[in-house]
Amino acid sequence: MSMPYETRVAWQNRMLLVPALVLLVGFILIPAGAAIYISFTNDALSGFAAAHPQFVGLKNYVRLFSDDGFWNSLVVTFFFVFGSSIVGQFVLGLASALALSRPIAFKPVFNAAILLPNAAPEVVAGFIWISMLAGGRYSTVSRIVGLFGIPPQNWLQSVPLLMIIVVNTWRGIAFAMILMTSGLSAVPAEVYEAACMDGATPRQVFWRITLPLLRPTILLYMLVSTAGTIAIFGLIYTLTRGGPGGATEIIGIYIYNQSFTAYQLGYGSAVAVIMLGVSVAIGAIYVRILKVQV
Amino acid sequence: MIGVRKFKRAEATAYGFLTVTLVFCLLPFLWVVLASVDPNASLFLSLPKGITADHFIKIFAANNGGRWFFNSLVTVGATTAVVVIIGGMGGYALSRTNAWWKRPFLYAIILVRVLPPTALIVPLYKVMLIANGLMGALVRSVVPPDSTRSAMQIFGFVDGYLGLILVLSAMQLPLALWIIKTYFDLTPKDYEEAALMDGANGFQRMHRILVPLALPGLGAAGLLTFIGAWGDFLMPLTFISSAELQLLPIGLFRAFQRANTMDYGYLSALAVLYMLPAVVAFGLARRFLIQTFTGGIKG
Repeated sequence: MSMPYETRVAWQNRMLLVPALVLLVGFILIPAGAAIYISFTNDALSGFAAAHPQFVGLKNYVRLFSDDGFWNSLVVTFFFVFGSSIVGQFVLGLASALALSRPIAFKPVFNAAILLPNAAPEVVAGFIWISMLAGGRYSTVSRIVGLFGIPPQNWLQSVPLLMIIVVNTWRGIAFAMILMTSGLSAVPAEVYEAACMDGATPRQVFWRITLPLLRPTILLYMLVSTAGTIAIFGLIYTLTRGGPGGATEIIGIYIYNQSFTAYQLGYGSAVAVIMLGVSVAIGAIYVRILKVQV
Repeated sequence: MIGVRKFKRAEATAYGFLTVTLVFCLLPFLWVVLASVDPNASLFLSLPKGITADHFIKIFAANNGGRWFFNSLVTVGATTAVVVIIGGMGGYALSRTNAWWKRPFLYAIILVRVLPPTALIVPLYKVMLIANGLMGALVRSVVPPDSTRSAMQIFGFVDGYLGLILVLSAMQLPLALWIIKTYFDLTPKDYEEAALMDGANGFQRMHRILVPLALPGLGAAGLLTFIGAWGDFLMPLTFISSAELQLLPIGLFRAFQRANTMDYGYLSALAVLYMLPAVVAFGLARRFLIQTFTGGIKG
């Protein structure tokens, strides 16, 4: 009872963190560690191996290298992340932020419209895009591109990867826009005034001033958005479940299908360990480069 | 003169771009909103000939939709409460401590946030199975045999709500800890110390000083937790299998997979109902959103 005040406060702080620590360790850190362990076994969801998993060493990792499905999922993931978050969301988000930084009427309306796709849950987003992209000439997308003479088709069958890139771009413009808006607001107005005085064209202002000054924001965006896009599950699962024929099977979907459809937990975990490694690397770069303030 | 014309052109470009973006963003929603009130709704966008509320009535009157909605409200509500309480305690401690583990702990939170749930789902399933076994033994030892099943629906870890609530909480906790910690950083220690001097005990300090002061931070964390857990698809898909425990996102997903019994009006009404709480929470949380994305940068 006669503990000094400082010691008591220090213990109190530790105790207050215990419940949070239990949840994080139990449901995130232990599973992450277990993923590494399971990836060295032939564990399965059912059958003999489920009851008696055997240690198989590096077998699962060796198998990765010759597995077309795994390489396919890496390529699909790359195009998905590059197309939707690095190009689509970034370009449209930056353009929206620049347009909305001007004195424009109905600003809240434009803002709300861009935010709405981000607010809709993934299943709803998948549901409404199935209607947009359905086969036949009555679906919304077929009717719109029909105006340009492009024949109607089942878009999720004919160009599936492009379509999930479009849908994810649609969903994430808001994210890029919000970040870029905060980046733009940090650029002092005098910089632009000085450039105007010197007779810079809008194009020069954009490439020589705006973009270089936004660089830290853009880097931050790229890291956060890449990590987030790799982790996407529900949006693609509701639209295509990874199909047709693996065309939209990004790595997270591949893990899910390998583990819960093909029942190969050990092999699925080896893929998961690769994915965890990539994500942790992105997180570590984030912490290092941006020197996060704590 | 040239300057003015240039300005006009830039203005027109901005309006043109924003209008196209607006149409791109809103067009997909048009179908679901119209179909939800259209007596003859189909998979394709069309102007309804009449307006009906039947689809919405059906959700609560005859079908499972109402139950799914209620199940989602209960689990996500409980998740939000758990995260706000545990995150509030932890965030406060992280803000006030100067111990050596403060920095590593905060960096670990950032790293944990980038771990994709899809990569954790298999080992998480195993952890949940083990926890479920232990809980099953505990429940059987205290509850009479005829009610173990219903007890496990509440306290179970696989196909039970307690497990789902704890998993959803763990997934949302890092962000909540970060937001609440940042909020307490901005709250001066003086009030607490004054209360301590006046002889207030720990509970009084928390109840009268800390919670009122931290309310905006706790509110923001709660809203973002609600949005994250409400929209989550992977966890209920993996851990809930009983029809009567099903949550709204999975119910909706399964219903539109069964192509032969498709009732687009009903499904659209369900989707609109599912979307509403998320959109309202998103609107309220707007000014905190920047923190969800950066989660560590002073903005």
